Amino acid sequence: MGRHRLSVIRKQSLVSGLPLPAFRLPLLALLLLLAWPWVTMNEVWAQETAVSPLLTGRIRDAQEQPIFDAQITAYSGAEVLAEGVSQEDGRYTLLLVAGDPIPDQISIRVERRHFRETTYELPNRAIESLRQSNLLHTPIITLERRITPGFWIATLIFVGMLALIALGKLHNTLAALLGTSLIFAVSYLGAPLYEGLYIFHFEDALRYIDWNVIFLIMGMMIVIAVVERTGVFQWTAYMAYRLSGGRTWLLVIILMIVTGVASAFLDNVTTMLLMTPVTIRIALSLGINPLALLMPEVMASNVVGISTLVGTPTNILIGSYGEIGFNDFLVNLTPGVVLALVGLIAYNLYIYRHDLQLSSAKGSVSEVLLQRLAERGRITEPEHLKKAGVVGAGMILLFVLGEKVDLLPAVTAVMGATALLVWIKPDIEEMIEAVDWTTLVFFMALFISVGAIQEVGLISFIASGIGQLVGDNLTLAMLAVIWLSAVLSTVIANIPFTAAMLPVIGFLSANIPGADSKVLFYCLSVGSAMGGNGSLIGASANMVTAGIAERAGSSITYMYFLKKGFPALVITVSLATIWLFIRF
Amino acid sequence: MSGIICAIRGGASSQPTINQAILTANETKLPIYFLYVLNLDFLKKASQSRTHTISEEMQELGEFILLAAQAQAERQGMIANGVIREGHIIGDEIIGLCRELTADYVILGRPLAAKAENIFTHEQIDQFGRHIEQETGARVIYPTGDGT
Repeated sequence: MGRHRLSVIRKQSLVSGLPLPAFRLPLLALLLLLAWPWVTMNEVWAQETAVSPLLTGRIRDAQEQPIFDAQITAYSGAEVLAEGVSQEDGRYTLLLVAGDPIPDQISIRVERRHFRETTYELPNRAIESLRQSNLLHTPIITLERRITPGFWIATLIFVGMLALIALGKLHNTLAALLGTSLIFAVSYLGAPLYEGLYIFHFEDALRYIDWNVIFLIMGMMIVIAVVERTGVFQWTAYMAYRLSGGRTWLLVIILMIVTGVASAFLDNVTTMLLMTPVTIRIALSLGINPLALLMPEVMASNVVGISTLVGTPTNILIGSYGEIGFNDFLVNLTPGVVLALVGLIAYNLYIYRHDLQLSSAKGSVSEVLLQRLAERGRITEPEHLKKAGVVGAGMILLFVLGEKVDLLPAVTAVMGATALLVWIKPDIEEMIEAVDWTTLVFFMALFISVGAIQEVGLISFIASGIGQLVGDNLTLAMLAVIWLSAVLSTVIANIPFTAAMLPVIGFLSANIPGADSKVLFYCLSVGSAMGGNGSLIGASANMVTAGIAERAGSSITYMYFLKKGFPALVITVSLATIWLFIRF
Repeated sequence: MSGIICAIRGGASSQPTINQAILTANETKLPIYFLYVLNLDFLKKASQSRTHTISEEMQELGEFILLAAQAQAERQGMIANGVIREGHIIGDEIIGLCRELTADYVILGRPLAAKAENIFTHEQIDQFGRHIEQETGARVIYPTGDGT
């Protein structure tokens, strides 16, 4: 009270204290003018703070997945009461004008491309409740899918893209870019002529790109580019030969373990690019069939690569979508992978027993070649390797511990790559060139293509179909996901396949009792990666290995790979399936 | 300079060609030039950004394959050299080296059995052999059996 009075006195003295009374009127006018915006703002504020009736709710599809970007309109007769848009989680909020009487009849209209327009009429008691409390939570509104010509075109484009990749008619990236361009061409040029052709717009497409995946892959590529130039692969392979002491069976086991461990932290393609030439040299030196070493290596690479989040692009995709961290993969998959590797080693030692024994009996070891092998089997950049080792260890630590502070793997990878570049100061142009931009563009275009079939509803239909087949049976769902993805990965490139399957797995995980443990994501990881062993085109690492072997006179034909690789698929996927059933 | 050119890829399929080159060198007393053509086209489908690293490895692999062939020839008392060329078409590299060395003989391997990628058919080999003879004047010899 005292403070209030004091302020009044001060105001009076400010005006009355002026020497010339003639100035008082204009000054008051000026003060009023200056105060005017403040007064009007207060009026607006007063209007806004008056309680506005609020309508909230959620929009989802038939598979109980949230629908974002749906246009929601509350209306009464011809009068629009409020408008809004649903968010990522499908929630929406409509704010009615404060002070206006709430009409006796209110309807909520929901409009979204690729869905049927749906209207929900508020019951009388809901309107009464809104009048009393100014807040109403409406029931979940489920939208039904609408099959448009855009649906068929997006499906056709996606299947065409997969076919172009599988048949090798176009480079993966070019095929994905072609698919993306066609989707936009239809949406932007076709839809104005006929609305049903609409698929989605560029802004919507960007929403589907998983930047966590892009930055994680990019960061790891830079680290790999530094590591691969140090000669560590050549040294390791040579040490494997020395450790084996000329026992070829032991050499096979060591090379499989070395390749597997390398693949768990680096991408499989790079691992095989660097391991294959030196492995062929070892085989030539020992006078054995190079394929008896290469095939076990590439199979081990495909199997062991999935033991960590960063081991394969498919795991990176799965981890980002399913919010599965580095530790989760280690705990839930690595034991199964070890089990599968043991089976794989036994299988390879059996099928190549003649190749390995024959050479020992021949005693065809070339001393000249072994000498050359020893000369090249050394670390060429020890300082860089030490620094890469320190940074790599730090990154693994952050991958493991970062989950506690929500540190995304992509951030760790980019920080690690930057730290390494700052520390070793390489030629930055060379390092930038070492980043496989075509692969990154492939991923971006792929995300958009998968986004298109998700947008038009194809993924929902597939999810719904699988959901009906497996029902509430988690065991059946696990078997279906593992084996379907394993077999399909032998003919379809596993990256686009995995990307397309993720929303399906997300739906099944949300709807099958017990699947919230994310077990189906691990099933997808096992199937899509180990399925790569089923055929030559099943994994990029297979193609690279075959390409190098071919240039050293050892052909790995499609049939040869199928004959050796498919039984390996059956063995490893079976063992991993057993593990997943034990674990979950 | 003159000699015998023998393009090889390593592996069992190259053995008859190497044996034939050694046989020819023994008869003519000419040096052998084993040729390995480095072709990284297969990377286009997988990982082109890795070309820098892998090209060094493939170069080393090529040298290793040549070294193995040279060692085999030298064990039988022949003079043998190794040449690595980077190129997309093996035929062009053979003709190029043939002209450089004014080679007298070119040993051309024939496909053994199953056809794999980049392996010529018998007809193509014969046609290519005639083309080399016309272009360079060198005599083309095809291995018979395993060349031993």
